[in-house]
Amino acid sequence: MAEIVPAKHQAPLPMSQLILTGGSEGAADRMELDVLIVGAGPAGLACALELAKLGKLAKADGAELNIGVLEKAETLGEHSLSGAVVNPRAFRELFPDLKDSDFPFRAPVTKESVYLLTADSRWRLPTPPTMHNKGYYVASLCEIVRWLGAKAEELGVNVFTGFPAASLLTEGSHVVGVRTAASGLDRDGKPGPGYAAPNDLTAKVTALAEGTRGLLAQAWCQWQGVTSDNPQIFALGVKELWETKQPLGRVIHTMGWPLPSDAFGGSFMYPLEPNLVALGLVVGLDYKDANLDVHALLQKLKHHPLFRPYLEGGELVEWGAKTIPEGGYYALPHRRSGDGVVILGDAAGFVDVPSLKGIHYAMQSGIIAARTIFAALKAGAPSAHHLAEYDRLVDHSYIAKDLYRTRNMRLAFKDGFVLGGIQAALMTVTRGIFPGWMYGMHADAEVGRRLTPGESPGSPGTPGFRPGSAEPLAVSKVDAVFKSGNATRDTIPTHLIIGKDVSAEVARFYSHVCPAGVYEEVGGVLQVNAPNCVDCKATDVLGPRWTPREGGSGPKYKRM
Amino acid sequence: MKIAVCIKRVPDSETRVKIASNGKSLDEAGVKFVLNPYDEFAVEEGLRRGEVTVVSLGPAAAQETIRTALAMGADRGVLLQTDTVPADGYEAAQALAAELKPGGWDLILFGKMAIDDYNQQVGPMVAELLGLPCVTAVAHLEIDGSKGVAEREIEGGIEVVEFPLPAVITADKGLNEPRYPALKGIMAAKKKPLEVKPVQLGAGAFEVVALTPPPERKEGKIVGEGPGAVPELVRLLREEAKVL
Amino acid sequence: MSAILAVCEQRDGTLRKVSHEVVTGAHRLGGTVEAVLCAAGAVKGADQLGKFGADKVVTLTNTAFAKYNPEGCAQAIADRAKAGGYAAVVFAASATGKDLAPRVAAKLGVGLAADCTDIAADGGTIVATRPVYAGKALLKVKVATKPAVLSLRPNVFTPVERPKAGTAETVAVNVAAGRVIVREIKAAEAGALDVAEAQIVVSGGRGLKEPANFKVLEELARAFGGQAAVGASRAVVDAGWRAHADQVGQTGKTVSPTLYVAVGISGAIQHLAGMRTSKVIVAINKDKDAPIFKVADYGVVGDLFEVVPRLTEEIKKLHG
Repeated sequence: MAEIVPAKHQAPLPMSQLILTGGSEGAADRMELDVLIVGAGPAGLACALELAKLGKLAKADGAELNIGVLEKAETLGEHSLSGAVVNPRAFRELFPDLKDSDFPFRAPVTKESVYLLTADSRWRLPTPPTMHNKGYYVASLCEIVRWLGAKAEELGVNVFTGFPAASLLTEGSHVVGVRTAASGLDRDGKPGPGYAAPNDLTAKVTALAEGTRGLLAQAWCQWQGVTSDNPQIFALGVKELWETKQPLGRVIHTMGWPLPSDAFGGSFMYPLEPNLVALGLVVGLDYKDANLDVHALLQKLKHHPLFRPYLEGGELVEWGAKTIPEGGYYALPHRRSGDGVVILGDAAGFVDVPSLKGIHYAMQSGIIAARTIFAALKAGAPSAHHLAEYDRLVDHSYIAKDLYRTRNMRLAFKDGFVLGGIQAALMTVTRGIFPGWMYGMHADAEVGRRLTPGESPGSPGTPGFRPGSAEPLAVSKVDAVFKSGNATRDTIPTHLIIGKDVSAEVARFYSHVCPAGVYEEVGGVLQVNAPNCVDCKATDVLGPRWTPREGGSGPKYKRM
Repeated sequence: MKIAVCIKRVPDSETRVKIASNGKSLDEAGVKFVLNPYDEFAVEEGLRRGEVTVVSLGPAAAQETIRTALAMGADRGVLLQTDTVPADGYEAAQALAAELKPGGWDLILFGKMAIDDYNQQVGPMVAELLGLPCVTAVAHLEIDGSKGVAEREIEGGIEVVEFPLPAVITADKGLNEPRYPALKGIMAAKKKPLEVKPVQLGAGAFEVVALTPPPERKEGKIVGEGPGAVPELVRLLREEAKVL
Repeated sequence: MSAILAVCEQRDGTLRKVSHEVVTGAHRLGGTVEAVLCAAGAVKGADQLGKFGADKVVTLTNTAFAKYNPEGCAQAIADRAKAGGYAAVVFAASATGKDLAPRVAAKLGVGLAADCTDIAADGGTIVATRPVYAGKALLKVKVATKPAVLSLRPNVFTPVERPKAGTAETVAVNVAAGRVIVREIKAAEAGALDVAEAQIVVSGGRGLKEPANFKVLEELARAFGGQAAVGASRAVVDAGWRAHADQVGQTGKTVSPTLYVAVGISGAIQHLAGMRTSKVIVAINKDKDAPIFKVADYGVVGDLFEVVPRLTEEIKKLHG
């Protein structure tokens, strides 16, 4: 076969296990809350915080709101990963009495540079207007999440870590809560010695803040027939945190090498401290070459003369990966609210690719949702009708305005780097008036991937890759997963749903898609090393479908 | 039974150890703190046998550690709050013994050691100070009324020990399978009583000179080829590596 | 430096070899070394302690010491320590020593520097070095107590022969009836050794070629005399050759035995990261470029079916 179309080999969403009716059996325990938030990321925690504040203010009216936040990581922040350069706007709105210096940021952005890279050289480019970061802060999303979580707990929010939400509980068209994943299953899926049954949590309103490629958000949209103008598309970001000998004093972004011209993406390097540097490579998952391996490309990137001097003599302290929704304005679901449910943050697609920003949009969506939910609860009616106010408010907020302005920018790059660049420039110059139409986009899985004849084994992407003396700064996928802090139980049942007709070529393609070495092609057959998974969701976009595992599985990011 | 379990807040076992600038302590930036894993066995054993009070000696943040034990099912907690716990284990033992003395406990449980300092002493020292019988590193425990039988691992076998109650037991891995806090337990933990008592410890008689990284792992060597290399390998393992 | 009390161990009337290490260690502090034992009667092998530097060997006798008697031994040792004005009391951090040392320290009203990998007398002060944070750091402390109470990590203070007079003395002692009674020592359950707990792990990978060949590793493990477990790489467990319980940790689950022998494991896939913190790593592989050799302290390039049986033979010789 000359090309692979990933969609042909993907399994559909396992709807029968994702959407359950409220009274169904199987749960050990049942807890009732007023508001349930799925995901303790910036969106979920901002929502919880704003709700708790509103609840306290209105205390005279009645009892305090019972708010619960479910988080699949063992400890707050362990599944959070981002660059990041943060716009403090949403923090200021959430905490009007605090100053920027009180917020969990590392350093203000002072200098920044954008480069176009070639294999051994670089061209300094003027910083595109969409990418100006003056007044913003370099931060670690893990630290942000831990900080928000502590504030939320101070206000009485119940944060339940180690509890992934596995299914939606529904009554008619109403979302009434979620069921958590069971834990302690053995490799064959049967209860082992440490077995703990799932729990049901019911609430008047459920806010889905699962982050990128949220499973329940996808399921709800499919169940309720909610569509978007364009399908959502994704990029995969692979990131490393280094303690360096050479200090870094500026924020760096690059485009070009090592990406092929028909792939969209770029790299970043940010100083959390002068000698603590975050760097990563982000690549759109609509790339055309079946052998493209983002982790491998990052390893090459580190040896470029721009990056190498900073990293030489330093130490890799953490590694991680996560996908980013890139579809922008036209990929937002037509409604992000329904009976008893709202969708926040990355799960809804509130990310602006040209400025590489999502955290403050996530938080802002959480704040807006909290106000809507609070009003709906007071009116005693958490129905689609009342919760639609959330959509209306978002559509009139800077979230929608910003996303509209850059609505076609990422999409233009489907035509390649040069044409894309020209169109993007036009969009920038006209402040989003050009073009007057929507660029159609295919879902990533529908895009065909060229097979390159004669791929050499041991190429940097394969899990078997071992860094040689030519690439001393490179790390293999096996060691990278170790650096993500992943300590998932080895005997856990696999959480990935393989599709059909997975040939040797498709297996090899998967092995390049996954940055964590979950997939290998061994003797022509797909081998799945499920415990390696770091929940980046690239597999869900292009390969086997992802479902949640027992709480605490996956990475343990500390400062990513 | 009325049971006290002494617990400690320690850095997670996967912590990447960085030395603080004073050269004498752990740099705590970004370190995740957890309930000492050996103490989990102690808490679990207590929960299976009676009413549990958890006692911890540590900084204010140790309240979170106590809440973890409360979420598992313990009934109440006491924090003996102090910012610095000296390197001298006897000081810690004295503080805990003073708190436990009036309690009339049937059983006092500890983990056999803390995974940060590896001191392996506070439990038996507290027993000594309270004049109670003590069995350490217990991997199996049976209690019948006011008598108990414990099993502990020793080189080449298992020591079976009898003792009367009240007693102090330090728990080893394998004593039981600690439970995960249930959702309801996490919520209930917030309402359970947690008393904070500031304490002042003596400096103790141990003075920390330095905390240093371990010696660098030397580059490995290929000893030889084929079975002929084995005698040399064994010699190196014995004399150089000292593992045989 | 005044005298050092070296607390030695016996079981069933025979001296335990770790006692040689205690005397050797005690010697490092300068001063005379008095080896002391609690026993019901004469201890076979106690006369060897002079060979390792004990100036005096004292056996404290009481019928209650026929088996390890935690409270009785603690009382006897503490009484001796109080009476003798020793600069230090040194134990082995063996299973018994870990139980006995803190009791004695508490009776003396002092702390214990436990599980030391080095001890020294710096002028008049005793300095102890001990691993902390699972060996990820070393803590050096000055122990200002009189006496200093220390326990030594086994297998670190290699016994050094420096013959001394080793005059022997037997003293009958009275101890209160203990409340904690060792009833018996029973054999450990066969095959109960968990891969994650074993001191020695012998692990096999795809190089073993088929499940039946694991018996070669089982024989090697047996040769280590009960301290070794047979592990398996994820690949062979997934292939169904070995039980899940044998799988050596991967993807961040660290297994940290004292000795890790990787047989027929290339080290490229899902294995390296999990066993990296083992104290000593030995690799046996026929591919000299296998990544495992980069991580191993000692490597043998060769056919494992020839090398491993030879290793088994040599280990058996060692253990006699």
